[in-house]
Amino acid sequence: MFCSRCILDSRIPGITFDENGVCNYCKIHDEMCKEYPTGEKGQKILTKIAENIKRGGRKSKYDCVIGVSGGCDSSYLLYLARKLGLRPLAVHFDNTWNSTIAVENIHTMLKKLDIELYTYVIDNEEFNDLSRAFLSASVPEIDAPTDIALTTILYLAAEKHKIKYILNAHTFRTEGISPIGWWYFDGKYVQSIHRQLGKRPMKTFPNLWLRQWLKWLILNRIKRIRPLYYVDYRKEETKRFLTENFGWRWYGGHHMENKFTFFNHNYILPKKFDIDLRLVEFSALVRSGQMAKREALEKISKPMPIEENLVNEVKKRLHFTDEEFNSVLSLPKKTAKNYETYRPTFKRMRSFFWLMYKLDLVPKSFFIKYTR
Amino acid sequence: MLGVRVFPCLLLKNSGLVKTIKFQNPRYIGDPINTVKIYNEKEVDELVFLDIAATTENRKPPFNIISQIASECFMPFAYGGGIRSLEDIKTILSIGAEKVVINSYAVENPSFIKEASELFGSQSIIVSIDAKKHSNGSYYISTHGGNKSTKINSIAWATKMEEMGAGEILLNSIDRDGTMEGYDLELTKKVSEAVSIPVIACGGAGKYEDIGKVVEAGASAVTAGSLFVYQGKNRSVLINFPTRKEIEEILGRSIEEIYSTVKCVRRQKFQINDLVE
Amino acid sequence: MIVIVDYKMGNSGSILNMFKRIGVEAIISSNVSDIEGADKLILPGVGAFDNGIKNLKDSGLIPVLEKKVIKRKAPILGICLGMQLLTLRSEEGCLSGLGWVDAETVRFRFTENQASLRIPHMGWNTVNLMRYNVLFENLHNKDARFYFAHSYNVRCNNEKDVLSTTHYGHDFVSSIQKGNIFGVQFHPEKSHRFGMQLLKNFCMHARTL
Repeated sequence: MFCSRCILDSRIPGITFDENGVCNYCKIHDEMCKEYPTGEKGQKILTKIAENIKRGGRKSKYDCVIGVSGGCDSSYLLYLARKLGLRPLAVHFDNTWNSTIAVENIHTMLKKLDIELYTYVIDNEEFNDLSRAFLSASVPEIDAPTDIALTTILYLAAEKHKIKYILNAHTFRTEGISPIGWWYFDGKYVQSIHRQLGKRPMKTFPNLWLRQWLKWLILNRIKRIRPLYYVDYRKEETKRFLTENFGWRWYGGHHMENKFTFFNHNYILPKKFDIDLRLVEFSALVRSGQMAKREALEKISKPMPIEENLVNEVKKRLHFTDEEFNSVLSLPKKTAKNYETYRPTFKRMRSFFWLMYKLDLVPKSFFIKYTR
Repeated sequence: MLGVRVFPCLLLKNSGLVKTIKFQNPRYIGDPINTVKIYNEKEVDELVFLDIAATTENRKPPFNIISQIASECFMPFAYGGGIRSLEDIKTILSIGAEKVVINSYAVENPSFIKEASELFGSQSIIVSIDAKKHSNGSYYISTHGGNKSTKINSIAWATKMEEMGAGEILLNSIDRDGTMEGYDLELTKKVSEAVSIPVIACGGAGKYEDIGKVVEAGASAVTAGSLFVYQGKNRSVLINFPTRKEIEEILGRSIEEIYSTVKCVRRQKFQINDLVE
Repeated sequence: MIVIVDYKMGNSGSILNMFKRIGVEAIISSNVSDIEGADKLILPGVGAFDNGIKNLKDSGLIPVLEKKVIKRKAPILGICLGMQLLTLRSEEGCLSGLGWVDAETVRFRFTENQASLRIPHMGWNTVNLMRYNVLFENLHNKDARFYFAHSYNVRCNNEKDVLSTTHYGHDFVSSIQKGNIFGVQFHPEKSHRFGMQLLKNFCMHARTL
């Protein structure tokens, strides 16, 4: 069954349809639109948030931290932060798979906006080993190490410079909401996969340990804000704006500025796990009126582009022979439920995390997905 | 008109890229192959890779990594670190590097440079000189990654190496390495005036404008480490490289015009004993 | 099939690598039947002139090369030393070259005011085309540049054989073409997309006459 509004269908985990055939993800989107208004209301909220940030950071060199990847959303957020009069520190997690465009985009945005950078580079062999472990674990969360590491680095940078606010470039209106059950990320999950399948010690990987995270929440009171939720964010116009004003360049697809993420999204997820992330992204664009449903369906019918060179590059770096790689691809699928995670702990701490969400210390999506 | 060559100088330690300050405290920069791919896409003029641990750890050059790097480079690529035999050079050139960089072994055995340049051609042989300024104002060379100092005068050594057949001199200022305070212009001038082969300046570049200054001092080519891997005051890792247009703007004049202002002092024939003060 | 002649002088691997990147089938070979069966040939070369000619002689490939190139007019591209070997002789050595092109190889000589120009001519330089040629298709714009690394250059006795010149102190011949015989002094395999375009042009357009 297909949603009558977006392009999700009954294969999506956790999907339900109402009497008009509209799916629950569309409903979540509408609720979020109410909770996070744009236009004048959104502008007012943003101005208030900016004032809080400025006040919180008046004694520090920087007043907020922004994670940058060279991508469209984080690049725009840098501009927005400057427009709001903020003094951001850009933070980049280099997983050693940067594309040239990503690096150039970060360089040009930071240079033109006069924003300082902090980069954390993980040891290449350690990251290769961790990635290999995740592939061998046969779970869809191959990007977990990168996502977890970036979160940790953002907190570390905020703590070091006494910054109270982490600005996140997520935009539900163009990125959508990941279906519940598609994946799950936490530090203990990374640890348990590494323990079982990793070969190198974890020395440079910045894992997000619960205790450390709670300290940042409770003691340091570092908040996570999503300013783009309050902006009428239009993807195509934003890309044009960034290109014309900053020399920023588009890299072909969502999250494709990082070659390893590209490999995950365009090869592993569709091939092994039957997950096509474009469904989520295009559904969001359809709901926001930025893409016609017919266009979305047409685009989704075409296979995701992938270069054989990139697959070979991944195999080489991860020290997989062709046979090993193929056998890993055909292993039976597993999920986070097959490994130890913090999930039981998060569930027990549900009320605590409800409070953290209300205080803007954790995103609402975390509360909904991780504590149930 | 021949362009001034501008390119990154990358340091390899085990399987990762690192960056030093005054040849100390190597700091991790990233994956060598991904970095090469980025510089290749940026169409840098050349690439120099130096394995900073091969000589001190007394091991062979990492042929596997050299081969991988060569396959990603569609520009000339020079490798240095731990080269001690003609066989080493032959292997490295056959797996795809255009040139080799020899440092410590040239001091142990200067005629090795003569043998190598006769066999492989001068244009494949770069001699690297790590120079440190002494309190008396002279520059002496160091070997083994800066760990062994000598009393050999850098300028005299450069002329000796040219005489032996070196095609180029890679001139490193140990004092300026990683400081981003600018090249050692005095050292560059002295060495460039003493030899008629190209001198590649290395060590100290802090901003793109430094490239112009060191060319005026006589460098035929310019290389940098920190400048092309770091961004900003925090010295955060971010690969960067000036565009062709930026390089041309920095240099302002053609290389021939620049060369016409650099004098080439007549070389004297040095005996090895003369080199040591 | 493109055959890169293997006579143990030079960076055939790099040339093969670039062919792979542009999607052209090529092999490195010192085998007579491979060369006989080739559509087009590449003569690479890095090093000294006499070593080059000696190695070529010792490889036993000169007869089959002459058959292919002179008799059958198969297109051949000499690169760097490979181009110099096509000439009659070189100031660098004592032995004769292949003599397929009426030219000599001479050392760079500069006047007094050019004295501080260093030898070898090493780095990126541009070319001035003397006439239109398929080898430089899509490379006529000003930003096309190539990597040079040489101390000797070719002097053609017949102006018609000069395809392009390059300026370093004075104008010198940077590429030649006589019928099916092409030569480039620079290294296309190390010249980024400019080299890729040139090799592509050679593969797609150079014809057997």
